[in-house]
Amino acid sequence: MRPLAPDSYRGNMENSPSELGLAARVTSLRKIYGSATTSVTALDDVSIGIRRGQFTAIMGPSGSGKSTLMHIMAGLDTASAGQAWLGDTEISALDDAALTVLRRRRIGFIFQAFNLVPTLDVRGNILLPFALDGRKPSTTENNWIEQLIDSLGLADRLTHRPHELSGGQQQRVAIARALATRPELVFADEPTGNLDSRSGREVLALLKAASTGYGQSIAMVTHDPIAASFADRILFLADGRLVEDRERSSAEDISRIMLGMEQRA
Amino acid sequence: MSGRGASLLVAGLASAFGVVLLQVTSVLATVISGDDVSDIGAVRSALSIVAVLFITIAVYVSSIVTTNTVATIIAGRTRTIALMRLIGSSARDQRRAVAKEGLLVGAVGAVLGAVVGTVLLSIGLWIAVAAGTLPDLRYSLIEPLLALPVLVVVLSTWCAAWVGSRRVLSVSPMQAVGAAQERSLEETVRRPARNIVAVLLIVAGVLFLAGGVVVGQISEYGVLLGLVGGLLSFSGLVLGSHLIMPPVLGLVGRLLGSNAPSRLAAANAQQHPERSSRATIGLVIGVTLITMFAVAGATFEKMMALAMEDPSVRRAISEMVGISLAVISVLVGFSALIAAVGMVNNLALSVLQRSREIGLLRALGFTGGQVRRMILTESLQMTVAAVALGLALGVVYGWAAAQSLFGTVANIGFVTPAVPWLLVVLSVTGTAVLAVAATIVPARRAVSVAPVTALAAG
Repeated sequence: MRPLAPDSYRGNMENSPSELGLAARVTSLRKIYGSATTSVTALDDVSIGIRRGQFTAIMGPSGSGKSTLMHIMAGLDTASAGQAWLGDTEISALDDAALTVLRRRRIGFIFQAFNLVPTLDVRGNILLPFALDGRKPSTTENNWIEQLIDSLGLADRLTHRPHELSGGQQQRVAIARALATRPELVFADEPTGNLDSRSGREVLALLKAASTGYGQSIAMVTHDPIAASFADRILFLADGRLVEDRERSSAEDISRIMLGMEQRA
Repeated sequence: MSGRGASLLVAGLASAFGVVLLQVTSVLATVISGDDVSDIGAVRSALSIVAVLFITIAVYVSSIVTTNTVATIIAGRTRTIALMRLIGSSARDQRRAVAKEGLLVGAVGAVLGAVVGTVLLSIGLWIAVAAGTLPDLRYSLIEPLLALPVLVVVLSTWCAAWVGSRRVLSVSPMQAVGAAQERSLEETVRRPARNIVAVLLIVAGVLFLAGGVVVGQISEYGVLLGLVGGLLSFSGLVLGSHLIMPPVLGLVGRLLGSNAPSRLAAANAQQHPERSSRATIGLVIGVTLITMFAVAGATFEKMMALAMEDPSVRRAISEMVGISLAVISVLVGFSALIAAVGMVNNLALSVLQRSREIGLLRALGFTGGQVRRMILTESLQMTVAAVALGLALGVVYGWAAAQSLFGTVANIGFVTPAVPWLLVVLSVTGTAVLAVAATIVPARRAVSVAPVTALAAG
């Protein structure tokens, strides 16, 4: 189940969803909030696949259902109907305990804010997924983590607490934590939402490098066209439906599509 | 809000304790003086001194607990306060509002406590008279004097709310716009003057205490030195608790294991040294006092056993010590109960305020069981640290008290402190029960935090 070397992402010999080259996919996904009288349809028959080794952006205006989609794909929320898969595992069929272990071992997370545990220092935060699993990283994993720490420029910050770091530094720690276990898929939820544009670009470049350099599959939820322009592929959601599926696009093109979606609404 | 409920309970307990204790002294004075009404004044004033001593301890502990509760509530309300500041409310107004709330909670709690205490005591008295345990005399339960503990509790709760709301002044309006990063709640304010005073008090206290023990060998006035030493050093300990509790908590934390839940729990308790010391110092005071009296009594008994030959005298002393200790333990135990309420509440509030962090941990793969274990460990760490420190301090103080007070009477030199095993067993059981009971509600709340909470932007 666990990914081995970065190269193993490509040329995978397994069958079913992963055979299609998908790190995750959802089929006929539906999510309805509230009771019968006051129900809100957040996702309406959504079927998409996140390709292995790619950096995918999920875009859409607020209320488009993009965050709900991500929550369900990451095993944080349950769907009203339809299936969600991570690799070959149908996660919509798993109970809370199994989902917890799945998130711990097979998924990485980068949130907009409050990414880090305030009581732990930088190293403690990066190693948190291993600590939660009750194990120490192996030698190979340790080498990988050291490499991450170096490339993310965190080497001289390891004993700092989150509140002693800038927003950009905090996000870099979150990236290191998300990549540390070499998860099958990293979910990033508006990772640049709280950053100034320079730190934001830095974070996006790092995510892109993780994807092209290590073949890390990444799904990023955002409403920022510049952030989405860093991705290999952009999925557009509006009113709970998939409305566009584009390969790499410029920020201008993305803005135009978004604007068109807003005007149609 | 659970914080207000706890402050209400603490004020009620302290007030009920004060009122009932005064009523009991009045009942006892009536019983002892019997029909001789002229005697009642003298008996009463002697008993009242004892009552006032224990009421003072209870009020002191409850003030510490309330101060801590208010400070914890404020820390959780930072955003609301910042918003109020943003739209133009002054910090002073905000603080005044908190203090006013404290006054209200104190008044309601104190009056309720007094009423409930009086009703319970009346029922108890009626049963005792009906059963023939107490003579059927004219007991006067309601008297003007009872207003005193009620007033003291109201005022102390008010003051505690004022002191605890100090942090309001440091809330910046910027914290409402969300532009400011999540700041650590760590109270980084250093108070060098306070630290120096604390250390001086402790050093002077220890010197006096040692002097008392030595002088106690040759003169019964040694106890006066010892008393001064005890008061000084203990005040120093309370004042400098933010210096003493974190290392003790850290030590206990390390003993509790190195898995992720334990490590996070240990880090949590140490993250806010001021807060965790205030949460635990009440319990430390309670346990120290209980242990002190118990060890002093047992050591006195041991000294007398070595010094006296006559077995009947020994038995009489042993009996007297036993009764006094039982009474004193109940009286001090009440303060420990108030301290425990404060600690439980502190834990509950801190879990409530960390829902985002707990959500993050759940999202990253912390199971419900691990969250529960983290909170249980945190609670264990605080109780074990408080009880262990209290036991250690109590043994020292109790031994010093026995040596300085009875050194000349026994005239057998120094003895090792006698620790009543019953006390140790009771403390350990009490600790375990408290540590576990304190986590029931917070743990349920923490486990119910949805991982999505961590993702909600804000």
